[in-house]
Parts: sequence; C-alpha cells; structure tokens
Amino acid sequence: MSVRSTVRALPTLFRVGFAEMVAYRAEMLVWVLATTMPLIMLALWSAVAHDAPVGRFDQADFVAYFLATFIVRQLTGAWVAWQLSFEVRTGTLAMRLLRPLHPMVSYAVENLAAIPLRMVVAFPVAMLALILTGASRLPRDPLLWAVFLLSLLGGWLITFLANAGIGTLALWTGSSVKVMDVWLALFMVFSGYLIPVELFPPAIRGTIEVLPFRYQIGFPVELLTRGLDLRAALRLLLGQWIWVGLLTLGVRALWRRGLQRFAAYGG
Amino acid sequence: MAQTMVSVQALRKHYTVHKRPPGLRAALGSLFRRVPTVVKAVDGISFQIARGERVGFLGPNGAGKTTTLKVLAGLLHPSSGEVRVDGHVPQRREDAFLKKITLVMGQKQQLLWDLPPSETFALNRAIYEVPEPEFQRTLTELTELLELGDLVNKPTRTLSLGERMKCELAASLIHRPQVLFLDEPTIGLDVSMQVVIRDFIKAYNERTGATLILTSHYMDDVAALCPRVVVIDKGVLSYDGALDELVRRIRPEKRLVLRLDAPADRAALDAVGRVVSSDAAGVTLQIPQEGVNAAVSRALATLPVHDLTVENAPLEEVMSELFAQSRAARGEVEDAA
Amino acid sequence: MTGVARYWRLLRVQVRSSVLLGLQYRADFVLDGVVSLFWTLTALVPLFTVFHLRQTVAGWTFEEALVVTGWFTLLEAILEGAINPSLTAVVEHIRKGTLDFVLLKPADAQFLVSTARFEPWRSTNVVTALVLWTVAFVRMGRLPSLPGSLSAILLLVTATSLLYSLWILTVSAAFYVVKIDNLTNLFNSIFDAARWPVQVFRGVMRWVFTFIVPLALMTTFPAEAMLGRLPLPALAGSVVGAGVFGWLSRRVWLLSIARYTSASS
Repeated sequence: MSVRSTVRALPTLFRVGFAEMVAYRAEMLVWVLATTMPLIMLALWSAVAHDAPVGRFDQADFVAYFLATFIVRQLTGAWVAWQLSFEVRTGTLAMRLLRPLHPMVSYAVENLAAIPLRMVVAFPVAMLALILTGASRLPRDPLLWAVFLLSLLGGWLITFLANAGIGTLALWTGSSVKVMDVWLALFMVFSGYLIPVELFPPAIRGTIEVLPFRYQIGFPVELLTRGLDLRAALRLLLGQWIWVGLLTLGVRALWRRGLQRFAAYGG
Repeated sequence: MAQTMVSVQALRKHYTVHKRPPGLRAALGSLFRRVPTVVKAVDGISFQIARGERVGFLGPNGAGKTTTLKVLAGLLHPSSGEVRVDGHVPQRREDAFLKKITLVMGQKQQLLWDLPPSETFALNRAIYEVPEPEFQRTLTELTELLELGDLVNKPTRTLSLGERMKCELAASLIHRPQVLFLDEPTIGLDVSMQVVIRDFIKAYNERTGATLILTSHYMDDVAALCPRVVVIDKGVLSYDGALDELVRRIRPEKRLVLRLDAPADRAALDAVGRVVSSDAAGVTLQIPQEGVNAAVSRALATLPVHDLTVENAPLEEVMSELFAQSRAARGEVEDAA
Repeated sequence: MTGVARYWRLLRVQVRSSVLLGLQYRADFVLDGVVSLFWTLTALVPLFTVFHLRQTVAGWTFEEALVVTGWFTLLEAILEGAINPSLTAVVEHIRKGTLDFVLLKPADAQFLVSTARFEPWRSTNVVTALVLWTVAFVRMGRLPSLPGSLSAILLLVTATSLLYSLWILTVSAAFYVVKIDNLTNLFNSIFDAARWPVQVFRGVMRWVFTFIVPLALMTTFPAEAMLGRLPLPALAGSVVGAGVFGWLSRRVWLLSIARYTSASS
C-alpha cells in the first residue's frame, strides 16, 4: 500500500482505534491502575530519604520524580509484543497481512490510540504533582519543552520497536512472551522506572546510561525534574534517536525475514 | 401416557445491552452515558416434551433457540416463567439434575485440548461418580457405536473436526444422561460425518430412551432425527408439532422428480406440473397435493420417464416460507399499531 | 461417596491430568525456570541499591528486609505453580465460551477451575526463597526461634489462603470485563508491593495493604514471625483475616457466576 493511501487512511484508523479504547474502558482503567510500580517505589524511596536526602533527592524530589515517571509511562506504553505473539499463535496474523496496510502501521495506530485516554488519566496526576511539589523543577526554556515532547515520542518509539522486534521473534518461536518478560525485567530495573538512574553505583551507572532502557522512561523524566541545560538535553536526545534508528533497522530486517518464514510455513 | 420430561411455561428471557453508535462524538459520549436497550431473546414460550421424545428447535439466527436450550440446561436464569426438567428446577443446578443431563455444543468442546480424549473420559467419570463396571460398559458401547477405535488415545488437538466431535459426544455421554441437549452438533462437519453423528444420536435415543432436544440449521439433521419440531422465531413460538404436518401446512405442494431418457417437450412438462428446475440430471415439477396421482399417471403416460420419485418440498424452503410468513404477520401487526 | 472423599478423588484426577500435560511440554520447563529466576534476580536490584545507600529503611535492616523478600519469592512460586495456571484457564474458558461446560458439571465450579492445572516445575523460586532466608540468617548470625518458626508455618498457610482468595477476587472480575490479561497485570503490579516490609508505606497505603489488600499479612507478618518479633494479636489477626477473605472471595465468586448465568446468552 502506498504511503499516500496509508496517510489517508490514518484518520479513520485512529478514530476506530480510539472508539475501541473507549469501548473497552474497563480494561483501560485496569491498565492504568496496574501502573502501581511508581507509587510503590515512591513510598519506598521516601522511606529511604526519611532522615536525609539520597544523593540530590529529598522526599519532595522523589514525589516529583515518581509522579513524572507515572505520567511518562502512561504516555510511552506499547504492547505489540503480546499482540504479535497472540496473533501468531492463533493464526490471526494472516488476516492482518491480507489488509492493504503495513501491519506495523496498524499496530502502531492501535497502540497510539490509547494515548489520548491515558492523557486523561495522566493530566490529574500531573496537576497533583504540581500542587505537591511546585513547578520549580520544571524546565523554563520553551526549547527544552520541545525536546521533552520529542523525547516522549522517542521513548514511545523505542518501546514500540522493542516490542515489535521481540514480537516478531514469535514468527520463529511461536510465542515470544517470555523474551518480552526478560526485556521488561531489564526495563524496569535499568530505565529509571524503579530506581533513578543517578542513584546507581558509579561503577555500573555509565553502562546503564547508554542502554536503550534509560531512554524509554529515564530521559523524559530527567528533562522534567533534573534541570538539565539545553546542550545536555540535546546530546541525550541524539542518543535516544540513535537508538530509535538502530531499532528501526533491526526490526525491519527481522520482520522481513520473519515474514518470509511465515509465508513459507503457511502461517 | 408418556411421562413429561420437560415442561416450559411462559418462559421469558430478557437482557439489557448497551448500544454503541459509530462516530467519535458518540464514542466519547458513551464514556459517560450509555443507551440501554432491552433485548427480548425469549418472549413467552410454552411447551412440553415427553420422555424419550426427539424434538428439534428450529428458527432463524438469533431466534432464541440456544437461549431456550441454555435455560433448560440451567445455564441461564429465566427472567420469568416456569421451567421443569424431570421435576427439577434447572436454575438450582442440583447435582442430581446435572447428572441427568448433558449439553453438546457444536464448535465448542469440553475435551481437554492437549491430552487424549480418554483423559477427559476419566475426568468425567470421577466428576459424575460413575462406577467402574458401568463406565467400562458405557465406554465399550460408545466406542462401538461411534467407531472411535484408537482415536481416544491421541491428543485432542491432533484429531480432525469430525473425529473430535465423535469423541466430544462420547465424553458427554459417559454418565448416561437421560436428557440430551444438542446445540448445532453437526455444524462444520462434512456430509458423511453428519450422517454418522445423526445415526449415532438416533441409535442412542432408541437404545436408552433418552430425551433429545436438538437445534440445528441443517434441515437434514432435523428431517432425519426429529419427528416433532418447535419453531421459535424472534423469541416466540411459531409452531409446535409434527414436522410432516408443518410441511403440509406451509408447503402443501409435492415435488415430482423425474429422470428422463430423452429431453422432453416443455409443453408436455407444463401439462404435468410447474417446472421448478431442469438440468442434465432431471426435471423437478411442483404439483398440488391433491393432484399427485393424476400428475404421476400423466407423467408416465406422456413423458419418457426413466425414474420417478414423489417428494415433499425441501425443508429449507418450508422454513424460509414459514419465517417469511411470520415476519409478514408481525409486519402487519406493527403497521396496524 | 461423601463430599470430602469425592472432592479428594477429583483432586487426584485433576493432578494426574496436570502431570500428564506437563510431561508433554518438557522443554518449556527449563525456559520457564530460567526466566523465572531472571525475574527474581533482577527484582533484587532495587533492594541492593537501596541498602547500598542506607543501613536501615523504615526500621528494617538489609538482612531483615531480605527475609521479607524471601517470603515474597516463596509466595510468587506458589502463585506461579499452583494458582496462576488454573485460574488463567478460567479466563480462557470465558473467552472461548466453554465455561458452560464447567457449570454443567455436578461439582463445585470453583473447585473444578482451581484444580484444573498445576505446574509445580514453575516453583523453582521455592529454592530461591530458601537461599535468601539462609543468606539473611547467616549474616545475622542466628537462627529463627522455635515458636517463630511454628508461627511462620501457620502463616504460610494463611498467606497461601489469602493469595488464593485475592486471585479468586481478581478472576471474578473476568466475568465483568473482556480483556483479562490486564487483570493479571493488575494483580501482579499490586502484589509486587508485598516485596517490601509494610512499614515502608505510610498512612492510607499502609492501612490499605494491611486490611483491604492484606499484603502485610502475607509477607511482612511471616517475616516478623521468623525474626521472633510478631506480636500475638497480629498472628491471630492474620488467621482471622485469612478466614474473612476466604469467605468474601467465595461470596464474590458465587455472585459472579450468578451474574454470568443471568446476563449472558
């Protein structure tokens, strides 16, 4: 399908995707409620910082950090790996392939369609965070806000592409849910989701800062709460989008080869 | 007088669904306010079924057949009305009641997927508390009647649809139920397998005296198995009686199917009856019921007949006609109101 | 056959099915075990990081917190091996419309679905829990006291019962919503708070985690018992709490089944 016709179809796809999300609002609510990790971690780290700040974080800093983490998580979530695994296992992938629309585009739209509803949830949390911790940590420079928006997109893309790549493995192994579990475990620990990346021991911090996980959650959150200057922000943005590029190439190659195998075995 | 096995009085089953109109604004609106509509799946049905009877539930899709069946099995609570199966109230789901019935659903199975059917049999035996000697006897009988052979020892997922259905039937009869509810049991099966299943069900009913209630879209199933039919359309009873009588009432014309030695003159055919279809295999003529004998004589006299049979109108046509009539009747009532 | 004897027999038949099923998928064991272990180890990273930065958190030392984590790991193992497999099968039944078959059987539906599948090979984390406890107590240079150990065993029973009840409550929600994978996600996310001593949480959250979703009774109390500092009222409270939750979850299950049979078609 041509790029132009894909673009023309996008509004309808989004509208339908959005309507689907609304129809399954109970599940949406559950999905949001399931993002409890930042809140649990907030309680934990607040307890740690009870007597004295941990690094540069005092209790208020942790509140700001983890509420920001909650918001960023809502806005950068994707679940393609499970979709792909399910569709490969049940054979329904064939139906998606028959449509004159690249499957990755349809997956992307479906995953993105959840974001508006998640924003509805994220908004009050953002307000709450502002009330509780004040706006002092937020960036002042409008350019930094532009970088933040790009970092959100980049974070979503990394999450989506990682999901897509691992999901594509299902074309070989039948179900790649376990591999996704491994990625998730690493993601939770090294992205800044459970532990602010700054608080890792210096020995391993260097490595963690380069891994893609950090750019999924940690980087956008740092933009909101760490007071980075524009140069540092742009440098990190570049790092993030290098990962986006690498993952895009990787997923494309995997997908192409996976499809060949899928077609060869009749799906 | 045969004992009443199933008794249904003024059964109603209504449930509420929420409409979801298309469009973005409506989708947003439905976040906060939903439009409830009451669907009357079953709206006042009464009938009785005697022990050992074979009854077919017929009706268009969404008519309420499966709903009625599920109410009889105790899976659904009626909104109102009285239902009794062998003296039990199905909704109470008493153990004694559940041990007397079985439900077979086409396209859905209770067989454990990754294990051989024999494991499901063993599980059901434990659940229904079937004594070992009786279990063995039943199993032998079922294996023989269904020609299961070695199928029961292969994992269910490796069996074909027809083989699975046979094993599914066996699993559902381990406890020798007295009432069989069959919901589209032959759906998706090839013709020869349909015949096998049909023959088995009939043999089982004759051998054990079990009461049978069947829903099916395949008229052949109904014609072969059910001397009595209950027609349900839009939740209401449309007809309850002998199948033959229904056919006579709706499509009293008979069909004359001729195989000819040589192509016949059209005029000559028209003189015998209305031509319904004509192809290389033969000619089908429609004739009024009273005129069967006359038509047969004329056909034999004027046409090069090689072979001749007198048939009822195909059941499908009878059914379509019945549904169209009831829809028209309802349409008239709506217009008048 | 009496009720108990009959259900005991049913249980044996169900377990047999599970074992036969398990023997079919041997390769999956190893992979499952590895992934499970990986999760458990990565989940220890926050614990290590936190206690790298502080000696005590909310009044708990590293070794003491390790005991709590040990209990969490043990419960996770029970969850993965004995509770999850069966109850996720319920979700499949609802999705495929085959729950009707379960409801038609002359046996309690909750029992049937709860015993449908056991996967004991997933319980490799039982070993991990034992290792964590050993490390903790060796570092503390002492052993759990006898009354402490006995209370801990009692609390294992109550903790398992609570875990099961919470899961039944979660699965009952499957009758109301369509996409259940999220519910599993929700349960695991909330349950994850049990990894930490409940004293870490303050105010409303601590109250919620003690009385509403009683995670405290499942990991913190047993750990305190092992450490010899669980007050008797708390022990009694755990037993009562487990009983209450068992009763509650049963009621909710029955209500959900009733709704299923009245509202679906």
